[in-house]
Amino acid sequence: MPSKRQLTVAAGYVAAGAVYIAIGVWFTDFLLSFWVALAYLLVVVWLVPTGLRRIF
Amino acid sequence: MPLLLGSYAPDMMSKWFVYGIHIGGWDLKASDPVQFHRGWPGVGFTHSLLYGVVIALLFWRVLGSKTWAISFLIGQWAHAITDTGDTVGTMLFFPWTVHIHFGAWAYAGQTGRVTDAAAYFSGPGAVWDLVWIVLGIFSWRVLTRSYFEEHVFTADAFWDRANRVVPIAVLLIAYRAAFFYGTCRWIAWSLWAHVVHHYPYDISWGGPHWVTAAHSPPLTWPQLLGIGAIIGAGVAIAFTSRLEFGKKSWAAIRSKT
Repeated sequence: MPSKRQLTVAAGYVAAGAVYIAIGVWFTDFLLSFWVALAYLLVVVWLVPTGLRRIF
Repeated sequence: MPLLLGSYAPDMMSKWFVYGIHIGGWDLKASDPVQFHRGWPGVGFTHSLLYGVVIALLFWRVLGSKTWAISFLIGQWAHAITDTGDTVGTMLFFPWTVHIHFGAWAYAGQTGRVTDAAAYFSGPGAVWDLVWIVLGIFSWRVLTRSYFEEHVFTADAFWDRANRVVPIAVLLIAYRAAFFYGTCRWIAWSLWAHVVHHYPYDISWGGPHWVTAAHSPPLTWPQLLGIGAIIGAGVAIAFTSRLEFGKKSWAAIRSKT
């Protein structure tokens, strides 16, 4: 079974995925490229949380 | 990474021309998208086993990495072989230009990006993708940090070199990104096609039949025999190599004891 930390990380990715899916359904060009998905993930899963941790 | 690059390689530089793009006043699109994408003359050779071997050998020679060569080969062969599942298929044994195809789902690339997506996510192709997504979810352990650090990072010097430039958190995201992209894309296109636009599902063989699919001609008996002969030769070579490899390994072990 996954640990609590692993489930928390997974939940973060699921939330990022939900936003990605919502954008993609509205603007399908967003779904075209793996590199766009990678950039999106880097911003949402790394840059934003890192920035927030530094601010708070 | 090389596995991912290999899996994207067949379509990487060509799919945009199959669908067509509009730049300024210019429309750039192949006059025969199917021929261009999967045929010869065209770039159909990118979907052949030989193409994967050539690029893999280049990786081995230029980068000096057997890991990159074999990983790229596996990714590219996986794409080339699974694309035989549609109604056009691929020239797996190029320069022999026969199209190996099983016709399980409709090839509709010539209809443009949007209709192609609607068709793919309405037919057996989408079910095929779903099988791999479910397999990936059941294999969730390979997406964990501990698995990445213990097995993936240590297996390829690329990750260590990349770690000198970016933190390991970024590498972990890059590692997970392909599964994230594939799964989210599947869900998004399915929602777009069936909730927003109400395209009907048709998961019968060769479907969806509401789209105008492109087809390769049926394989003749001589062609089937030729394919069987090539596969048989390949299996025989692999089996013989394994026997020879086994003998050399045993000799090496005996010489050390």
